[in-house]
Amino acid sequence: MSKLLEIEQFSLHFPGRGALLSDVSLHVDDGEAVALVGESGSGKSLTTRAALGLFPEFSRLSGSVKVRGLDTTSAPAAKLLELRRNHASMIFQDPRAGINPVRTVGDFLTETLVRWRGLSREEAYARAVTQLDQVGLRRTKDLMRQYPHQLSGGMLQRVMIAGALLDSPELLLCDEPTTALDVTTQAGIVELLREQQQARGMGMLFITHDLNLAASLCDRVYVLRKGEVVEHGGAREVFMSPHADYTRQLVGATPRIEIDKVPAAPAADGTVPLLAVKRLCKRYELPSGEELTALNDATFSLAPGGSLGVVGESGSGKSTLARMIVALETADEGELAINGRVRAPRPLRAAERKLLAKDVQIVFQDPYLSLDPRIVVGKAVADVFRLHQGQGRAEAVKSAEKLLERVGIGPERFDSKPRALSGGQRQRVAIAKALAARPKLLVLDEATSALDVSVQAQVLELVEELREQLGLTLLFVTHDLAVVSRLCAELLVLQHGEIVEQGSTAKILSAPANAYTRMLIDSRPRALWEEQLA
Amino acid sequence: MAVTELAAPPARPTPGRKKSPATSLIVLALRKVGTLLITLFFASLVVFFSRFVLPGDPARFLLRGRSPKPEALVEITKQFGLDKPPIEQYLTWVGGILHGDWGRSLTYRQSVSDVLLNRLPVTLELAALAAVFITVLGLAAGILASLNKGGWDRFILITVTAAGAIPPFVAAIALTALFAVQLGWFPSFGSGDEGLGRLWHLTLPALALGLTFIAFMARVTRSSMNEQLTREHVEVATSRGLKRSSVVFRHVLRNALGPILTVSGVLIAGLLVSSAIVEQTFGLTGIGQLLVQSIDRLDFAVVQAIVMIVVTAFVLANTIVDLIQPLIDPRIAAGTESR
Repeated sequence: MSKLLEIEQFSLHFPGRGALLSDVSLHVDDGEAVALVGESGSGKSLTTRAALGLFPEFSRLSGSVKVRGLDTTSAPAAKLLELRRNHASMIFQDPRAGINPVRTVGDFLTETLVRWRGLSREEAYARAVTQLDQVGLRRTKDLMRQYPHQLSGGMLQRVMIAGALLDSPELLLCDEPTTALDVTTQAGIVELLREQQQARGMGMLFITHDLNLAASLCDRVYVLRKGEVVEHGGAREVFMSPHADYTRQLVGATPRIEIDKVPAAPAADGTVPLLAVKRLCKRYELPSGEELTALNDATFSLAPGGSLGVVGESGSGKSTLARMIVALETADEGELAINGRVRAPRPLRAAERKLLAKDVQIVFQDPYLSLDPRIVVGKAVADVFRLHQGQGRAEAVKSAEKLLERVGIGPERFDSKPRALSGGQRQRVAIAKALAARPKLLVLDEATSALDVSVQAQVLELVEELREQLGLTLLFVTHDLAVVSRLCAELLVLQHGEIVEQGSTAKILSAPANAYTRMLIDSRPRALWEEQLA
Repeated sequence: MAVTELAAPPARPTPGRKKSPATSLIVLALRKVGTLLITLFFASLVVFFSRFVLPGDPARFLLRGRSPKPEALVEITKQFGLDKPPIEQYLTWVGGILHGDWGRSLTYRQSVSDVLLNRLPVTLELAALAAVFITVLGLAAGILASLNKGGWDRFILITVTAAGAIPPFVAAIALTALFAVQLGWFPSFGSGDEGLGRLWHLTLPALALGLTFIAFMARVTRSSMNEQLTREHVEVATSRGLKRSSVVFRHVLRNALGPILTVSGVLIAGLLVSSAIVEQTFGLTGIGQLLVQSIDRLDFAVVQAIVMIVVTAFVLANTIVDLIQPLIDPRIAAGTESR
């Protein structure tokens, strides 16, 4: 019997451009879980799609991609349909984008059954409901009638998995199926995938950029970089004793909770806290007329030079909190004081906003969206100097260049537009823009979660350095406990708009008092071998 | 794993889903109808009072060629109620419309409703036929262009752009010259009898009328479909082994309908307005031609009625489009956006 998935010397390129994949070889056996690890642009998605014969338009291929002996690079359309229907299924990264938003969940699940399995609508319906039950969803009959926008991301991903399993595939391809989800949701999905993979004896190819996740699910790992396999082997060997430089770098960059490395809080000296928040509340009215409490009764303070991590899942109110601190939102109740000055409970006037901006700056999650695509980065930073430091044109340009070099953007980039920069470089520019106002408090709203691990590590390092040199006070909003453990002395855990636990980071991480905090910590993926030890 | 309690993840932290989709649909519909009525009210104000801004006294016009005896002028003014204050005139006018009485035409000396009823069918048939051409040809060209990247796409795009740049009256003349005069396939003049004869007579005018809109429709269809084709859910559908045709119909075209429908709503009103030119060229006795004549003759009752009908058609068409949208995309009814 031929191998389940066997990719040999597979290369892909567009005419006139460099190779996107070169000589990729990998294989997946029956019942085996294999991870394909790499950062964005490494070609991992292209490789996986190739297994289904999904090649980008106008691309040139060489080598072979065989699923049960069928070479998808040369197979006729009919054979490819047969392969996609009976042998291999794929779970995509973002279920909200991957399930047609104008059709019901039931329609999504039954369409393949009705279209070509020849089942009647009733049979297909029954099969789909059973499958939904099996992937751990409740009220499945109601779900069948619902539209994707009525479901949470985690539920939708389960629907997507159900859709893939309905065809009883031998090979399950997973393209970062948990990247768009919260940690706790991710843990549930990973558990489900492992269960189903083992119960059905499927072969699985799991793409991820997260080494921890790969180790928690797969026995073997391929590391892909710029379209080339740089290392492969057993997950544990690759993780513990990597051979390739790149893998070593990747392992080093992968964030881990290291309690002994948590930074210390500044000594309490009775000064006025830089940021003091008292019983802060924010409510939104939903289109349906109901009220949603985004943040309820939040009280905390942050001393000058301190660092506070705010963690929680999506919808926990952590971004609302960050936006209120920089006055993008106005609190409904409570008090917010910066440097002892209590802020007026109304939207700020332009002059007040300018004054506030000198004290507090924010860096957003997605540098692709937060920089103006038409302004070259040198000017973007210089503008801040002119506005906030009152510098002249020439002086501002000089200051901007100095600051950009300080955050690691070389002079050759000053005249580039954001489009020409990589994600990490853009985030550096965004940080430089924030720092140009010489703020006392820097708010980072998921500032590294859109970046690759190695880039994230560099940006975190930069933030760490800047804090030490400039005496910045940090408020880091994130979902990643490992990032917090590295950067923040204090921690605040939010759930559904309520602070469920706050205190010293080291203490909370080593002995969480709250059940939710414990769950957050436990949800972090653990390597298979560690689990076997435990 | 310590997360067994997560087997079913908690619902989204938006407790605002208690209203059933059906109620929110009804609320949406009522709101749309309310907007429709308010829009019509303001439109009627503008339509009616714009007469007072325009130069020319309609009563004087009626007596053109005769010596305007003051008594006759007063007589006419009184007969048509022109001596009353504008507000009162407006109320009488609106009241009349609500009863189906659009006032009296100054030139035809009969009720406006009768004049319009004679003319309206031709225009409606013309617009309907044009709409069929637009839908069939425009959609077909758009879909074809979108699904055949490269040569076909470019050819269709260029053809359609060129055709769309031709003004209706030029198109009318060109079509007449080719198909009526040279080939003799279609008549060049008149609206013909009822039934098939009418259809035969209206084919060329409808094509001339629809040409610009076909181009417009093709472009919107093409770009809307192109946008959907790059969506991930289309790739997912392909990866599940659906045939290309199923993918296109169920996942691309269906999702692309929203923008196409929005454009259609605007097009319908455009058809009624543009019909004036085409009717004039082909000698069709529709309301477009009537509008041109009536403006010329200061027959304000007829002008007001026609403008009001066009405005109503426009607003109505757009309201209907707005009401269909939530059926096509359920996210609209829920008031949430795609994320």
